[in-house]
Amino acid sequence: MSAPTHPSPQGSKRSGEQAAVEQRTLLVCCGSGCLATNAAAVADALAEQLALSGFDALVKTGIKRTGCNGFCENGPIVKVMPDDISYYKVKPKDADAIVASLQGEPVQRLLYRADDGKRVLRHLENPFYAPQQRIALRHIGTIDPESLEDYRARDGYQALEKALSLSADALISEVEASGLRGRGGAGFPTGRKWRTAVGFETACSYVVCNGDEGDPGAFMDRSLLEGDPHGILEGLAIAAVAIGAERGFLYIRDEYRLAQQNITKAIAQTEAAGLLGDDIMGSGRKLHLEVVRGGGAFVCGESTALMASIEGRLGEPRAKYVRSVQRGLWDQSTVLNNVETLANIPWIILHGGAAFAATGTEGSSGAKVFSLVGKIKRSGLVEVPMGSTLRHLIFDIGGGIKGSRPFKAVQTGGPSGGCIPENLLDLSVDFDTLTANGAMMGSGGMIVMDDHDCMVEVARYYTNFLAEESCGKCTPCREGLRHMLRILTDITEGRGQAGDLELLEQMGTTMRENSLCALGKSAPNPVLSTLRFFRDEYQAHIHDKTCPAGVCPALTAFSIDAAVCTSCGACVKACPAGIISGSKGAPYRIAASGCIACGSCREVCRFDAVRAERKLHT
Amino acid sequence: MSLNISIDGKTCTCESGEFLLEVARRNGFYIPTLCAHESLSEQGCCRVCIVEIVSGERSQIVVSCVYPVERAIEVLTNSEKVKALRGMTLALLQKLAPASSLIAGMCKAYGAPELPRLEARADDDTCILCGLCVKACAQLGTGAIAAVNRGIEKKIATPYDQPSATCIGCASCAQVCPTGSIVVKQDAQERSIWGRTFTLLACDRCGVILDTTEAVAYAATLRDAPPEHLCPDCRKQQVAQAFVGVYGK
Ligand SMILES: Cc1cc2nc3c(=O)[nH]c(=O)nc-3n(C[C@H](O)[C@H](O)[C@H](O)COP(=O)(O)O)c2cc1C
Ligand code: SF4
Ligand code: SF4
Ligand code: FES
Repeated sequence: MSAPTHPSPQGSKRSGEQAAVEQRTLLVCCGSGCLATNAAAVADALAEQLALSGFDALVKTGIKRTGCNGFCENGPIVKVMPDDISYYKVKPKDADAIVASLQGEPVQRLLYRADDGKRVLRHLENPFYAPQQRIALRHIGTIDPESLEDYRARDGYQALEKALSLSADALISEVEASGLRGRGGAGFPTGRKWRTAVGFETACSYVVCNGDEGDPGAFMDRSLLEGDPHGILEGLAIAAVAIGAERGFLYIRDEYRLAQQNITKAIAQTEAAGLLGDDIMGSGRKLHLEVVRGGGAFVCGESTALMASIEGRLGEPRAKYVRSVQRGLWDQSTVLNNVETLANIPWIILHGGAAFAATGTEGSSGAKVFSLVGKIKRSGLVEVPMGSTLRHLIFDIGGGIKGSRPFKAVQTGGPSGGCIPENLLDLSVDFDTLTANGAMMGSGGMIVMDDHDCMVEVARYYTNFLAEESCGKCTPCREGLRHMLRILTDITEGRGQAGDLELLEQMGTTMRENSLCALGKSAPNPVLSTLRFFRDEYQAHIHDKTCPAGVCPALTAFSIDAAVCTSCGACVKACPAGIISGSKGAPYRIAASGCIACGSCREVCRFDAVRAERKLHT
Repeated sequence: MSLNISIDGKTCTCESGEFLLEVARRNGFYIPTLCAHESLSEQGCCRVCIVEIVSGERSQIVVSCVYPVERAIEVLTNSEKVKALRGMTLALLQKLAPASSLIAGMCKAYGAPELPRLEARADDDTCILCGLCVKACAQLGTGAIAAVNRGIEKKIATPYDQPSATCIGCASCAQVCPTGSIVVKQDAQERSIWGRTFTLLACDRCGVILDTTEAVAYAATLRDAPPEHLCPDCRKQQVAQAFVGVYGK
C-alpha cells in the first residue's frame, strides 16, 4: 500500500495499518463569508472529484461543511484533516488538484503566503491564526454545524450533563469563579447576573440569548450561531438550569437567516434526542427554546427593548431602575446573555472557572472575539486573550496597515465606541482600560484607520448612524444627536464656527448623564473621544477650513504630482467622474472642474503621486 | 413596607416601590414634568423631572417619574447638576418646539441656556414628542395615531399621514397634549382633527354638544349598550323623572 506523502501532523504518526483506514476529511468553510465567494460550489466540486477518484478504497475520505473560519477575505477555505493543510481562495476548478494531492504533494499555489513570502502549510503556522486562543470559537471551522453527532463527538452536551448534577449554587459559583463578563457590550459579570436572578422569586423565569448583533461590521455572533449552534444552545440550557427557567428565547437579527435556520434545526435535534425539551437528559426538568426574529432596529439589541420586542410590543427601551433579572419578560425574572457570553459557558463548566480565569487579565478574564477590519492587511474574526495589546492585534495578527501606510487610529466598540490614537497602541485590550480611554469593548469591533481617514468625518459617520438608529423616545439622545450631527456636518463642510467644540462637549455631557438607555448615554463617545485625541484636526476644519487627511470633499482638492506620476493609468479607471486624462509616457492630469473629491485616485495610486490639498474657494 | 427618605432636607415617608415623583408631590415639592400624566402610565422620556440622589460619596441623576424608591435615600430636587442638565434638556426642547409658550416659559423659569448656534425647527412647531397623545389614544383602544420613524425622524402621525379610519374624533389626544400641539377645529356642527371632519352629536333634550357621532357610538360599544343621546345632566333628570313616574305617587 502507498502511504500518503504528506507530512503527518505532530503526534499522529501513522502506522501502515492505520493509514489504510485513516479517515481523511476535507473541511470546507461554509460561513456566510465563504458562501458569498462560492464555497458551496467548491464543496460540490470536491465531492464530485472524490467520487470520481474512487478514493475511498485507498484512504477513506469525507467532506464536511463547517462554520466560518474568520478569515473570510481569503475564502473559500478548505482544510485537509488530519494532515492539517489549509488552502485559501479555492475555486471549484481547484477541486481535482486538491483531491489528487491527497495522494501526493500539497497544492502549493493554494497555500497561504506569509509576510516573508513563504507558503505555510498548516493552519497554526498562519500568522493570522497562530497567536489566537480559541475558547468561544473552539468548534468553529472544525465541526459541521448541522450535525448533532459531530458536536457530541467533541464533548458536546457533557457540560450540560455536569450542570444537571450540580446544585444551582455550585453551578453559579463556577461561573462566578470564571470571572466571565458579558460579551454583549456592558461587561456585566455573568455569574452575578445569574445569582441575582435566583434571588427573585417570580411565578416563572426565562432565559434569553441576545443574537441581535447590530454593530455594523461585527459578525462574531453570526459566526457562532451559524457555525456552532449547539454550543450556544448548551450555554443557554446551562443558564436555564442555573436559574430554574423552563422556557427560553433566542432573539436573532432579522437578516441572519442561516443562523436562524441552523439554530432552529439544532433545537429540533436536541428535542428529538432528549437533550432538551420535556425532559432534559432524563433529569425530569424541562426546557423549551424558541427562535424569535429580530425587530430590525439597532436599538432592539438593548435588553429592555429586546424584551418588549419578544412580547410583541414596540422595541423601545424602558428605564432600568428595576432590572430584568427581577422583572423582565412578562414581568418575570429573566436572564439575558449575549451569544458569545453563552458560547463560553460550556467550556467553563467542563474545564472549571479557575481555568478560564487563568486566561486574560484580573478584571477581564478569558479570551474575546474581535472583528478586525479596515485598513489592515489581514482582516477577520480573531479570538485572543483579554489583555492582549492593540499593537499585537493590529500588527502581529492583522499584519499591519495595508500598503504600509501610517497607522492613525483604531475605532473600537461599535458605533458608540471611541477612537484610540497611535501613542496608546500598547494599551491592554480589556473592559476597563478601553473605557478609561474614552473607547469601549462593545461587542468587539475594531476598525483600523490610516492617515487617509479624517477623524471628524469618522465622528460624523457614527453620529449619523446613531441619529438614525436611536429610538427617538427621550429628549437628550434624540435632540442631542440631531444637533451634534448638524454641527459635525457643518464642520466637515467648512461651516464650523468658533465655540462649536465646547458646544459639542456640553451636549455630550447632557446626553451621557440624562439619556434613558445606554444608546443615548454612549452616543456622544465618537465625538468626545475624537475631540480628546484629535482636537487639532477639528480645529483645522473650523479655523483653517482644511481637512488634513484630505477626505472631506468640501475642503479638499486633488492633483497629480507630475514628477512622481509614472503614467500607469490606474487612477483613470478608478475615477468615477471620468475626469483624469493622460497618455503613457506623460504624467496624468485631473481636470480643473468636475472633481467630486472622492479620493479614489489617491487610494489606487501605488506611487503616492496624488496630492490632497486645501480646496480654495473662489 | 414604609420608608423614610429625605427630600431637600425634609424627611418624607413613603411605601417601598412608590415613584419618587409622587412622594415629592405629596410632600409639597414641585418637580417639573412634561411626559407624565396622572391617568396614563409613566414613560420617563422627556427627562425634565430629574433629581439627584446622594448616598454617601456617590451621587446619581435619576428620573423621578419612573424611579421607584426602595431604600432610604437623600434626594436633591434642585442641585447644581440637576439645574444644568434640566436647563440643557429644556433648551433642546425649545429648539424642537420654538412656538410653544409652555416650553419658552419653562426655559425662562429654569434658566435654560439660549444656544443660538443650534438650529430651531419651523417657527410654528410646538410638538415636543412626549408621546402622551399616543398613550391616550392607545389607552382608549383606538390606536389611531402613533410615533412613526425612529431617531431624529420621529414624529407623531396617523398611519401614512392619511386620515385614520380608526380615529373617532374624541380629541383625547389634544386634551392630554402639554403644548396644545394638536389642531382641533370645531363649530356647532363639526369637529376636525388629524385631517378628518366629524359630525357632532347634541343632547336630545338640552342641545349641549355630547361628542362626535363616532365617539358616542364607540363609548356605547365599550359599555355594551345602545348609544346615549343625552348629556349626563339630562340623563340624571330623565332617571329622576322615571323614578317619580314609578314611585312618586
Ligand atoms: C443600543 C444597544 C444595542 C445593543 N445591542 C446588543 C446586541 O446586538 N447584542 C448583544 O448581545 N447585546 C447588545 N446590547 C447589550 C444588551 O443590552 C445587554 O447588555 C447584553 O445583551 C447582556 O448580555 P451579556 O451580559 O451577556 O453581555 C446592546 C445595548 C444597547 C444599549
Ligand atoms: S437613549 Fe436614545 S435609544 Fe435610548 S431611549 Fe432614549 S432615545 Fe431611545
Ligand atoms: S402632540 Fe402633544 S401630546 Fe403628542 S407627542 Fe406632541 S407634545 Fe406630546
Ligand atoms: S415627566 Fe419624567 S421623564 Fe418626563
